[in-house]
Amino acid sequence: MASLRGLSRPARSVHVPQLARQTYTAGTIRCASSQTAEAAAPVLSELENSTLTAPQLGDEEKREFRPWKRAADRKYQLPSGRYQYHPPKYNRGPLHPIQSPPSSDPVARDFVPGPFNLPRLKQTYHSTIAPDLMTLTYTHVPPGTPEKETPQRLRGWDGSSPYHKNRALRGPRGGAVLRLLERDITFNNVPEIREITIASNVPDAVHDPDHLLVARSVLLALTGTTPEITKTKSNVVQWGIKKGDKAGVKTTVYGNAAYEFLDRCVHLVFPRIKDWKGIPATTGDSAGNLAFGLTPDEVKLFPEIEANYWLYPAKMMPGCRVFIKTSATSDRQARLLLEAFGVPFYGPIRN
Amino acid sequence: MGKLPSTILRRPSLATGCLPSTASLALPHHTPTSAATVNQSSSQHAAAGQVRHATFVPRSRRPYQFTQLVQLSDGSTFTMRTTSPLALYKSAKDSRNHVLWQPTEKSLRNVEVDEAGKLAAFRERYGTSWDLETPTAESAEAPSASGKQEGSKADAAAASKEGKEKGEKKEVEAKAPTQEAAPADPFDSLVDLISAYASEDKNIKGGLSAKDQARKDKSGKKK
Repeated sequence: MASLRGLSRPARSVHVPQLARQTYTAGTIRCASSQTAEAAAPVLSELENSTLTAPQLGDEEKREFRPWKRAADRKYQLPSGRYQYHPPKYNRGPLHPIQSPPSSDPVARDFVPGPFNLPRLKQTYHSTIAPDLMTLTYTHVPPGTPEKETPQRLRGWDGSSPYHKNRALRGPRGGAVLRLLERDITFNNVPEIREITIASNVPDAVHDPDHLLVARSVLLALTGTTPEITKTKSNVVQWGIKKGDKAGVKTTVYGNAAYEFLDRCVHLVFPRIKDWKGIPATTGDSAGNLAFGLTPDEVKLFPEIEANYWLYPAKMMPGCRVFIKTSATSDRQARLLLEAFGVPFYGPIRN
Repeated sequence: MGKLPSTILRRPSLATGCLPSTASLALPHHTPTSAATVNQSSSQHAAAGQVRHATFVPRSRRPYQFTQLVQLSDGSTFTMRTTSPLALYKSAKDSRNHVLWQPTEKSLRNVEVDEAGKLAAFRERYGTSWDLETPTAESAEAPSASGKQEGSKADAAAASKEGKEKGEKKEVEAKAPTQEAAPADPFDSLVDLISAYASEDKNIKGGLSAKDQARKDKSGKKK
C-alpha cells in the first residue's frame, strides 16, 4: 500500500494486475513451492513495486485520465482539508465500538516517537558487558549436584506455649524486612540497569518557590522528562519545614534514556569534577540499587546545563541525588555491573 | 497498556459504514446516534470525574529533544538524545583523557618536571610540607588503585602498577638530591614545617615590613 501511495496519480488509476505482470514469471518446473509462490505473486509484486518500476502511460491512458470529471461525477462530498481524526480521549474497554488506535499509531494519544538512536552504553552492554559478566562470574556445578535448598529464614515458635500452634512465622531479628537473597549470575540473570531516578531536595523552596522552578528546569534539562514535585514527609521545626511543603523535585528515566544519562555521567561529567575519587563504595541498599550525589557545582558540568548556564540563577542551582536501580539482587553484583560501565568506586566496601 | 484483541476496526475512518449500527447495538440505552455524538456525550460525562468504565488516555508530556553528536577528546563520536540544542558537543576533558579511566596512559600521569631546579630550590628552602602528595601517600595509593579493579581487569591493573612504579622511580630520582629520606610518618612533615618557621627570620609576625627588611639586610652586608 505504501508503494502504491508513492506512485503518481495517473499510475494509480492503472489496474494492479497490470503492474503485477512484469515481475511474475511462470517456472517451467512445477513443484509445490513454486505454486505457492505463484499464488503469492500478486501480493508480493504489490509490495515490491516502486515508482521506478512503474510502466509508462500510453496516450490513450493519458487521455482517459480526467480528474476533474471524476470530481464532477462524485455523488458525496469529500471531507474538508481541515478534517483530522482525533483518537478518543478515553479507553472504554475492548468491547466498546469506539476504540483508541494502538500506541504505535502516530495519531494515538499515547504515541511515543523513537527510538532515534541506539545508546552507546546499551550497545556496549549487550555486545560486551553482559557476556563478560556472565562468563567471569560463572561457577561450575557438576551435573547431578542436588540443588541447595534455601533455609527457612523466618523464625518459628518454640512451642513452649499451646498458643504457638498454627501461629505465623516471625520475621528476622532486628526488623521486619526480609532481605533479598543473592541470585547467581546466569545466562538468564545478568544484571542490567532498570531505571535511574534523579531527585533534588530544595528546602529553600519553602520560602522562595523560585528554587523549585529552577530545580525543575535543571532536572528537565538533565533527563528530558518532566519532573514531578515532591513534598516533605514530616515536620521539622529546626529546618523550618512543615509536612506537605513542596520542597523537591524528582524524575525517573527508563531504558534508553537511563543508559544515556549514565553515559553522560560517566564519560562527560565525572572526569570533569575536580579531585574526584569515585563513588564511595559504601553506597547501596543491599538490594542492588546504588546511589550517588552531585553538588550544584557538579550538576553544572553536565553538557545540557553548560549549554545555557546563564539561564539558571547561580545561587539557586540545585544539587541532586541519583539512584541507579539495577536488576542485581546484591550490591556487589550491582557494583560489578557499574564498574563494567566505567563507574569508579573508592573506599571501604560494604556488602 | 495491555489491550484485549477486538474484532472491531479501530479507526472509525476505516469503518464508517458499520460503526453507527454497532454503537446502537452495543449501547441500547442510548438513542441511536452517530458514533461521534456518542463519544462526545460520554467524554463530557467522563470529564467531570474518572468513571469506572472509561480510562483516561493521557497525552505524554515530552519536552523537545535533539540528537546531538558528541565528540570525545580522542576524536571518537557518537549520537545522543539531549535537551541541549547544540548540534555538536566537543568535550575537552572526558574519560578518554582522564587518568582514573586511563591508568596506563603515561602522558596523563602527573610527573614532576623540574629541569630548572626551581622546585628543588623551593623544597630546600621551605621543606616538603607544601607538597600536595607526599611520596608515601603515592606508594600507598598504587596498591589501592590496583585493588579497586577487583581482579576482573587484573592485567590492566598490573600494567598500571608497573607504570606507576616507573613514575615513582623518576620522582624519587628527582627528589633524591633535595631530601635524603622520605618522611616515614605524617608528623615529620609537620616538624619540617615548624623547623622551617624556626629557621626563618623573626619578622614573620609583627616584624619589619619587606622594605625595612631589605634595608636591614643591605646594612648588614655593608658591615
